[in-house]
Amino acid sequence: MKKLYGILYLFALLLSTHFLSFSSQLEYTGADALGQVKQQFETGLEEMTAAIHTYEEQAERFAQQGNNNLPALQHAHLAARLAFKKIEFLLEYNDREAVKKYLNGPPLPTTEAKVPEVRIIEPIGLQVLDELVFGESPEAEKEQIAALVNQLGHDFAAARTYQGGIPLQHRFVFEAVRYELIRIFTLGLTGFDTPGSGNALPEASAALKGAADALAAYLPLIEQQAPAVARQLAATQQQALAYLQANPDFDTFGRLHFLKTFLNPMFALSLQAQEALQIELPGEVSELPQSINYRAGNLFDDDFLNVHYFANHSPGELNDKRVALGRLLFFDPILSSNNQRSCASCHQPGRAFTDGQDKSLALNGEGKIQRNAPTLINAIYSERYFYDLREPSLERQVKHVVRDHKEFGTDFLAIIDKLSRSQEYWQLFAEAYQSQPQYQLSKWSISDALACYVASLRSFNSPFDQYVRGEKETLEPLAVQGFNLFMGKASCGTCHFAPAFNGTVPPYYQESESEVLGVPATQSESRPALDSDPGRIASARPQDEAPFYAHSFKTVTVRNAALTAPYMHNGLYSSLEEVIDFYNKGGGRGLGLDVPYQTLPETPLNLNEQEIAALAAFMESLTDTTGLTAVPERLPMFEGEPEWNERVVGGVY
Amino acid sequence: MKKVILSLLLSSMAMLFVNAQATIFAEEIELPDGFVPETVLMPPSPLSLQVLFVGGVDLVQTTPTYGYEAGIAYAKEWHDFIGFTPDETEESLGWISVNHEMIYQDDRIGDGGGMTAFRVARDPITGLLNVVDQQLEDGRKGKFFNVDFVNTVGETGMNCGGISSVVDGRIWTAEEWFRSSNSSIYNGSFTSSQGSGGYPKAPGGAENQGVRDTASFVISSDIEGFDGLEVRKFENFNWMVEIDPRQATAIRKQYNWGRQPYEGGTVALDNTTIYLGPDDTPGFWTKFVADAPGDFTKGKLYVYKADADDRWIEIDNTDPEKMLNFKSQAVAAGATMYNRIEWVAIDPATGLVYWTETGRDSPGSRWADEESAGATHDPYHIQRAIDKGWGTPSSSDYRDYYGRVWVYDPATNYNTVLIEGGPEWDEEESPAEADYFRKHLSNPDGLNVMNIDGQSFLVICEDLNGRSYGRVPAGVSNNTCELWLLDLNTENPTVDDLIRISAVPAGAEVTGAIATPDGKSLLVNSQHPSSTNPFPFNHSLTYAIHGFDEITVSGLEDPQFGDVEGLQLYPNPATRAVYFNQAIDLAIYNADGQRIKVFRNVTQVDVSGLPAGAYFLQTSDGQTKKLVVN
Repeated sequence: MKKLYGILYLFALLLSTHFLSFSSQLEYTGADALGQVKQQFETGLEEMTAAIHTYEEQAERFAQQGNNNLPALQHAHLAARLAFKKIEFLLEYNDREAVKKYLNGPPLPTTEAKVPEVRIIEPIGLQVLDELVFGESPEAEKEQIAALVNQLGHDFAAARTYQGGIPLQHRFVFEAVRYELIRIFTLGLTGFDTPGSGNALPEASAALKGAADALAAYLPLIEQQAPAVARQLAATQQQALAYLQANPDFDTFGRLHFLKTFLNPMFALSLQAQEALQIELPGEVSELPQSINYRAGNLFDDDFLNVHYFANHSPGELNDKRVALGRLLFFDPILSSNNQRSCASCHQPGRAFTDGQDKSLALNGEGKIQRNAPTLINAIYSERYFYDLREPSLERQVKHVVRDHKEFGTDFLAIIDKLSRSQEYWQLFAEAYQSQPQYQLSKWSISDALACYVASLRSFNSPFDQYVRGEKETLEPLAVQGFNLFMGKASCGTCHFAPAFNGTVPPYYQESESEVLGVPATQSESRPALDSDPGRIASARPQDEAPFYAHSFKTVTVRNAALTAPYMHNGLYSSLEEVIDFYNKGGGRGLGLDVPYQTLPETPLNLNEQEIAALAAFMESLTDTTGLTAVPERLPMFEGEPEWNERVVGGVY
Repeated sequence: MKKVILSLLLSSMAMLFVNAQATIFAEEIELPDGFVPETVLMPPSPLSLQVLFVGGVDLVQTTPTYGYEAGIAYAKEWHDFIGFTPDETEESLGWISVNHEMIYQDDRIGDGGGMTAFRVARDPITGLLNVVDQQLEDGRKGKFFNVDFVNTVGETGMNCGGISSVVDGRIWTAEEWFRSSNSSIYNGSFTSSQGSGGYPKAPGGAENQGVRDTASFVISSDIEGFDGLEVRKFENFNWMVEIDPRQATAIRKQYNWGRQPYEGGTVALDNTTIYLGPDDTPGFWTKFVADAPGDFTKGKLYVYKADADDRWIEIDNTDPEKMLNFKSQAVAAGATMYNRIEWVAIDPATGLVYWTETGRDSPGSRWADEESAGATHDPYHIQRAIDKGWGTPSSSDYRDYYGRVWVYDPATNYNTVLIEGGPEWDEEESPAEADYFRKHLSNPDGLNVMNIDGQSFLVICEDLNGRSYGRVPAGVSNNTCELWLLDLNTENPTVDDLIRISAVPAGAEVTGAIATPDGKSLLVNSQHPSSTNPFPFNHSLTYAIHGFDEITVSGLEDPQFGDVEGLQLYPNPATRAVYFNQAIDLAIYNADGQRIKVFRNVTQVDVSGLPAGAYFLQTSDGQTKKLVVN
């Protein structure tokens, strides 16, 4: 069918060619569409230049006149942001790093990449300004505001010069639009980049309008190839914009309705349009894997996030044999020094691979380990692993558990020595790692098999997912309300990013975030104290030795949270309501603790009890462990070690 | 229906799309019966890969350390510098030395960074390299050996670059990880009110950053002025360290070369002068001149000052205080500042010294302090600041996204830029679309000189600092670090003269490379793995690229197409690229007529990722060719 389309298309082109050669420039071509987008972009750049210019004037006036000029300053700020939003999709696509560093990065300090020192870079750009201009005392910051706006003008001019020369391609336009759709939903609508002004909804309109206008340039062409797609796309974009106009209240905006009715359809239709036009897809231009599966038509498809990218495996390497072997190893206490503990000791399938403890029991029952056991389901979708983000792959994660004297308390040489005494294990390793004869039973193959198993623990089939994908007619109204709060008023979605609801940052999903929440050591209200765990600053990575990484912890997924109590890195809270209450009060600072680099706003969220219940209901709708909890019936035999054959699947404790 | 008369169709397509970049290629094509396109043959690559040493997975032999007996341990990782020491006895080819750029506690290998050494011999029949069994003087037996720093000269950290002498294969290792307190080598250097002091280590503390032994260090050295000196432990870091790869042991820290965040260096052909570069902003170009050839325990130390009469200012290296605080000495001497000096290499044919200035985005504030204290700028950076309208290099406006490669001429004592990274473009004006950059040299880091077919080539390894402003091409979503060759006979080379070596697995950053003395192989270290590559190419790795003796200089050059009408193709097996005589858009179809690749505005395409077989190439101006990849 597709082939037929292609050939028909070529005929159409052929006909139009002849038509063109006889009848002037009436025929609308791909070149015309691209030319239009270029023109739109150029206009948008010009408008943003003008808006920043006005902003600079107002900031200067504000620096002299103070609060009298605040409304004009705020107006100029919002106008500059709206101008940015309109071309955000292409600015980001062309040079996402420049946007993050100079134009619209998070208002948090970072460390300079790749230099052999910890060099702190203070944030600049529109988000910092959003906090200042709409902050408690803009007048006190007037010099800084003027300097930041000036810097913005400077940096935008440089970005414009560079980006003005990038030769656009059809696929750039479609990719940029589709990434913008992800960005609008996961970041823009949550208030992620409007921390002060809260102007998220008008900005989402502007961003969507910019993207829609670009696709509109292609509508005549799409109309020729796939008329239904063109009509639906045009209509959905119109309706989405109208819905945004008609529902301007941030707190009550129906984000789930917007997602299901407009955003996901646009995400799917824009792909269908690109395919109908036979515009090349990312897989045809790059050998390297993409973090998202570009062919996914729904943000909540179970393969929207590309597991092979995160697993650091080519597709053939993440195979059934390795997963099956990894599963045996996961439940086999032979890996620990006392033959009594396995990975499953702390990551129990029935608890979504957690253990119900505040902090997990240490080896030989001697106290507890440092932190709470996180769920392994969907753990794969991260750039870095552990609460302190110390390792970049699951394979590398394994060695920490093996060597830690509170966990397996052993080393790989001892494990290999043990496993090599089992014919059955030999056979399984030989089959799974046939292609690497030198390393069939090795530190690598053991770690890799375990990593393959953990990577196989994926779940995007909860009641919520099914409802979003339209496979389920209804969702409990309380959960719907909870989702709207999660992605809006309660600000959860600004750190627990959709669709995995973890700290892997959309729309590129290439970076894992950690946050300083100020979690206390105990629940004591009379003498609250910050938990002493240093978190990321002690990750053992030199780049993390910045003061703002003290007490910073990885943002873990809230999927399956109903099964994974207690919560937080120290297991302090035993119910979701307690966790939400902690956020509702403004985290550690809200509790009166001294947390100098808290990334969570300390202002209360003002959630009432009903809203807290709704948030919990939403998180409960994310429960899905289907097909993931089966425990092996038996473990491989050791011929010469009869006592080892008495070992318990999953460990004694 | 399927049998379209393709040739007719294609020839008319050209008229439709005046703008080549707007061409849409059909997802499937079917060639008409009897249509016989011109066939272009891509012969097999002369280059092949052989894995030698996998970090973290292969085992090294260790010496008695920290109270543990001699034994084995998993090698450290994050391979960076690679050195080669030829075997004068000709029993083998020689010894390979590998740096581990990490800080990591290990009871048997030793804390901090480290090195691994091993010996290779070339199999006379297969041409492959065999890692040979050795027994060392200290009794260790095996293939891979941990270089013992702990029991000799004291630990090292973050071993990055180094020196592999072109004269006799002596090896030094460098540590850019500049430390300024004992807590910064063990307990963390941060000063947060919440996080300072001794915090609990990572779970169990079995593996962690840092060097646990922070007791003051009493130097034992044959360098005058330093023997018996007691220094704080961190002050025993950041020296160039000579090792003996044959015995896998450290020889001495070069206290007389100054304490700097060194990355690279090279020994001049006279075996007397050593050129050194620190990875820092400001970084100071430094040289040591020995009193006698080959004896680097005695000699004088100099720092480069571009505006001084003979360019070099001596820093008294008999004064330990001055050596411990080299930077302030260099600043006081008015030395010339650079922006992160990385590797240094010498062309044995000419004695010219090449070095990479990898760059950092905004160096201005890093230079400004030292400038006000007396340090100076290179005329190149001063002129660049003026040309770009940024004022001076110390201005916060100064941008250095791409870095560059310099050449130092010992005859004139002068540093000049050999090749500027880029796409270098005029910041005042957007580059024209037609002139849009097709090659990108960003943040050159690893550097060496290699002889191919009697001609000297620079081997340049990228290590991207970021992706903004064209460090990755538009429309590319992953960072890619390339391995480039540059013919040193090229006059005024630009980025367009670079030759890309696609034999390197995609996405695996090459950190260091050195050729074997027989010219047959390039030995390569890589890290920052990409997931497209199966094990072990997704690990820190040392491998060899064989077959350079089968490559000719003309085989690396861009083809000369002459003034011929129409599209011309030239497949080059050495680079695994098909070259065109004009910039085109292009789609590649498999033998079944399905589109599998699309390229835009290219003058060459890399086909190293295509399995052997037949393909069809279709261009935006309507031509179809058959490509057979062998």
